[in-house]
Amino acid sequence: MPNAIAIENLTHAYKPGVPVLRGVNLHIQPGEIVGLIGLSGAGKSTLLRCVNGLVQQTGGSCTVLGQAVESLPEGSKRLLRRRIGMIFQEFNLMERLTVRKNVLIGRLGYTATIPSCLHRFSAADVRLADDCLAQVGLAGLEMRRVRDLSGGQKQRVAIARTMAQGAEIVLADEATANLDVLTKDDIMELLQNLSREKKVTLLLSMHDLPLAKRYCTRIIGLKSGRITFDAAPDALDDEAIADVLDRASVPGAG
Amino acid sequence: MLNRILSFLFGAALLVFVVWCFLAIGTQVHLTKYGLHHGGDYFAKLFPRSQADWRYALKLGPDLWQPLIETVQMAVVGTVAGMLLAFPVSFIAARTGSVPGPVIAVVKTFLNMARAVPTLIYALLVIPLAGLGAQTGAIAIGIATFISLAKLYAEALESVSVGPIEAVRSAGGNAPQVFVYAMLPQVFPLYLSTTLYSLEYNLRDSFVVGIVGAGGLGQKLSNAVNLFEWLDAGVIIALVIVLVNIVDYFSYRVRKVFS
Ligand SMILES: Nc1ncnc2c1ncn2[C@@H]1O[C@H](COP(=O)(O)OP(=O)(O)OP(=O)(O)O)[C@@H](O)[C@H]1O
Ligand SMILES: [Mg+2]
Repeated sequence: MPNAIAIENLTHAYKPGVPVLRGVNLHIQPGEIVGLIGLSGAGKSTLLRCVNGLVQQTGGSCTVLGQAVESLPEGSKRLLRRRIGMIFQEFNLMERLTVRKNVLIGRLGYTATIPSCLHRFSAADVRLADDCLAQVGLAGLEMRRVRDLSGGQKQRVAIARTMAQGAEIVLADEATANLDVLTKDDIMELLQNLSREKKVTLLLSMHDLPLAKRYCTRIIGLKSGRITFDAAPDALDDEAIADVLDRASVPGAG
Repeated sequence: MLNRILSFLFGAALLVFVVWCFLAIGTQVHLTKYGLHHGGDYFAKLFPRSQADWRYALKLGPDLWQPLIETVQMAVVGTVAGMLLAFPVSFIAARTGSVPGPVIAVVKTFLNMARAVPTLIYALLVIPLAGLGAQTGAIAIGIATFISLAKLYAEALESVSVGPIEAVRSAGGNAPQVFVYAMLPQVFPLYLSTTLYSLEYNLRDSFVVGIVGAGGLGQKLSNAVNLFEWLDAGVIIALVIVLVNIVDYFSYRVRKVFS
């Protein structure tokens, strides 16, 4: 089966001379649930953003769903992004807009500029959005303003948005970090179902190791911009954790 | 220790400067004995003091209606034209990542320099081009509004948090969609309040530029004072006070609804 994500020798530096990613190699099969762990500043968010082209890497290649992201013109990048959902620790929803409108943002890439800028979506899109909301357990809240929702509900809205996109890959940047213990599990279960039922590939940066071990099918350890661990969750024992999260060996950390 | 000495010296220098200013102005003898004596008389002449005065003041009404409308029109045209120009320019004055740094620096420097120029000066500069009258006033107000709103809109754009922008971009949104969905909801309250403030401010300016001949009530006031028609001047000033307060009130109410 072709890889969902194929990353070869990926390097990135926001400022010249300060590399954040230093040669990452990573191949992910469709349907995998990959947990990305590592210290703060290891480059997890940067790696995720190279996958959907929000960050243009300084070296190496990142092939997603068969297309080399870095060499795509902006228009094609947008078309590819429709197939890659992204959810965030801070939710990054449009707080003043309704729940339904936030899910419809997942349809922007499929809607002509002028009607979408006038907040006009097709009836089919609205039906799809409501259907996605029902699937994440938010039926009945379509017309609520997002700012009135709880953290868990907000993250469900974000997941519904990726579903409305028809995303084949979902990137999650510490998507459960702002949630309480029980809600973390709810959100991880939702994501797990996406992977099981729709074969969605998940790449999740996480700080909560027990949670990562419970839900991921594979764990990647990122240390100072390099992958130093790549195995099934069972292999992530105390020794491996100590190594990935070892501050002492990280230059300039502390 | 050094800090204390420096702040003491700075305080002392400031005091000397202020005293020097007062001495320079205060020792000039323009405020004459005559002026001091008759100031009260002049002030009183602004108000109607007899039945005949009242009748005269009321008869002025129809004559002042047209200039009053003109003052409002100048403010509205200037504000809207300035707003429409400021909107696109604010995008190349804002540090949001999509415009090269040097372009931003040039635009920002220009806006900051031009902001130092009061509307009245623009009016004086436009008179030779557009002649005396309301059009000059509207153009001058439009220029000043454009400059101040471009800067304020740019600051609003810079205050936008990037999270929602990333979210819309990562869903496949293009630049106009990113603006409408991720930025506009964040900047709209700021856009609205700064634009309404500028309307309030422009109404006052539209009166002031009239005094140098740019039409409206300001021009009427200037004529009245030149002809020693004190009662006319008083009525005009009263109209301005009422007008400005009405507009400020409605602007305040609208701003409250959207804050
Ligand atoms: N937009 C940016 N411009 C400049 N430097 C950046 C930018 N984003 C991240 N960095 C730097 O890159 C390094 C890696 O950041 P990144 O956000 O990828 O780490 P992370 O592993 O996600 O950390 P965390 O767990 O704290 O989220 C950090 O040193 C950070 O300061
Ligand atoms: Mg991060």
